[in-house]
Amino acid sequence: MAAEGTLTVLAQVVISGVLLGAVYALLAIGLNLIFGVMRVINVAHGDLMMLGAYTTFWLFTLWGVSPLVSLVVAMALMFALGALLQRVVVERVVGQPLLVSLLLTFGLSSFLTGSALNLWTANYRSVPAYTGSLVVAGLAFSVPRVIAFGVALAITVLVYLFLKYARLGKAIRATSQNADVALVCGIDVARIRLLTFGLGTALAAAAGSLLAVIYTVYPEMGRTFLLKAFAIIVLGGLGSFGGAFLGALALGVAEALAAYAWTAQIAEGVAYLLLIVVLLARPSGLFGIRE
Amino acid sequence: MSVVKLQKPRLALSTRHSALLLAGLLLVCLALPFVASAYVISLLFLLLMWVVMASSWNLLSGYTGYVSFGHAGFFGVGAYTAAILIWRAQWEWWLACLAGGVLCAALGVLIGGPALRLRGPYFAIALLGLSEVGRIVAVVWEPLTRGGLGISLPPDAELLPDYYAMLALALAAVGLVYGIANSKIGLRLLAIREDETAAEVVGVPTTRYKLLAFTLSAIFPGVAGGLYAWHVSYIDPGAVFAVSLSVRTIASAMFGGAGTVFGPVIGALLLNVLAEVLWVRFPFFHPVLFGGLIIVILLVMPGGIMALLQQRGILPRSRRL
Repeated sequence: MAAEGTLTVLAQVVISGVLLGAVYALLAIGLNLIFGVMRVINVAHGDLMMLGAYTTFWLFTLWGVSPLVSLVVAMALMFALGALLQRVVVERVVGQPLLVSLLLTFGLSSFLTGSALNLWTANYRSVPAYTGSLVVAGLAFSVPRVIAFGVALAITVLVYLFLKYARLGKAIRATSQNADVALVCGIDVARIRLLTFGLGTALAAAAGSLLAVIYTVYPEMGRTFLLKAFAIIVLGGLGSFGGAFLGALALGVAEALAAYAWTAQIAEGVAYLLLIVVLLARPSGLFGIRE
Repeated sequence: MSVVKLQKPRLALSTRHSALLLAGLLLVCLALPFVASAYVISLLFLLLMWVVMASSWNLLSGYTGYVSFGHAGFFGVGAYTAAILIWRAQWEWWLACLAGGVLCAALGVLIGGPALRLRGPYFAIALLGLSEVGRIVAVVWEPLTRGGLGISLPPDAELLPDYYAMLALALAAVGLVYGIANSKIGLRLLAIREDETAAEVVGVPTTRYKLLAFTLSAIFPGVAGGLYAWHVSYIDPGAVFAVSLSVRTIASAMFGGAGTVFGPVIGALLLNVLAEVLWVRFPFFHPVLFGGLIIVILLVMPGGIMALLQQRGILPRSRRL
């Protein structure tokens, strides 16, 4: 009896982790795309996600807009913001050493977090649009998480199909494989960078919108989730789409199990430990591009 | 077609004059506490701390090109080591700080080996991860560190010993970087930065040199962390393992010019004075302005102040500086 109970709990923990993992995947895939195309590590990625979360929060709180609709709005808005940031700031440091872009985006991150803190205070906000749990085969799933998972999965599949079959998607992949050759083939690499940064940011905004529904929203959330995204893409390998997705699910599950077995704080550390262990074994990540 | 005129840099001082200048500055630093207010001395203490942080980071990341985002990790380890030794074992503060440095050196050797196998962004992120692991260990290992409650130390009534200790540390750090930069070791580290494979082919024992740079660069934040803990008398994991410490270190070094000896010194002093002014005048807007400042600096002068001065012909373009 006890064993059955434990198994059920364990299964629920794992599934809970997978559900969250899909949302992490959105964040990680966006970061990955940007790195792949521009070799820039966007430290402000988490804060752009945070802006997406706040968009959903405000639309819900002020006008009762459904998070699913806000998701689309947030994605569109943040795509535009991302493109703007790329054109004005990021494009200038493409091709410069890693340190420059890393520090630049860190500055941007600080700027965004500080602005959010000043504009909207540090209070925790939430979007209680969905509540309750779904019981299937004796296992309980939290409704917000299931919805978030569904949406995240749908978006991930769409992005995958876009990258694989659409002309623009192929151009993006070509640019991330070798920008110089892509240029020679007639691809407008600068435009691809612009669009990719916008797309990556839109994906971050989507992740933010979904997280707003599951978790709380606060200005510093960007940093927390960014570090997880880092762990994921290093785990899966910088530049690998599939790696990012699997890495995200793995992290979600590992965190859930750690939180169940020990405390939430240790669960936080799981991301980093996983990261370090994987890097020791495979310095380029599990599926990464070998530089 | 323009002809480039080779001019003598405007500030190319002879060795004797340079030595005199530095001696003069040193005298000023030594004498300052007798004429300055407590606030100024405290501020100088912190500025010197940033000089230590920036210079030691520069030793690794400016010279070998292995960008570390985990400098705060060593700072935190040093801070906690000193705090625990002072609080639980009643060690003398300066001995506890040195112990922090020694522990960080040991950690440097331990971590450096595996970590330095990583390249570029992986190295940066891995060290960031390690720094965060340090923070989480401090939070979770409550019996030792009191977790999130932090450690309170007996209040430190005397400013002057702290100031002189930090000054000594800063001199040691900058002196070490100067010594290394002007030696064969420095040249080889630069070779590693420029093209590690070529350096290996030419016969530079890259692993050994990288590890040396890594270990040396770990000692200084360790001692500085201890001094900081003693000076402010209270630490908690979020304060001493903060990622923002690493970022500010890097920004200071880059502002002045990473890969040069005096760049991080100038950058640390200027940037942190600026940050202090901003913080005093705009306490809530501070991160916004600081972030904006970093962005502007990087877009306008990614090589830092030293590069700017060297390009304009004010300072000589020499490895010595």
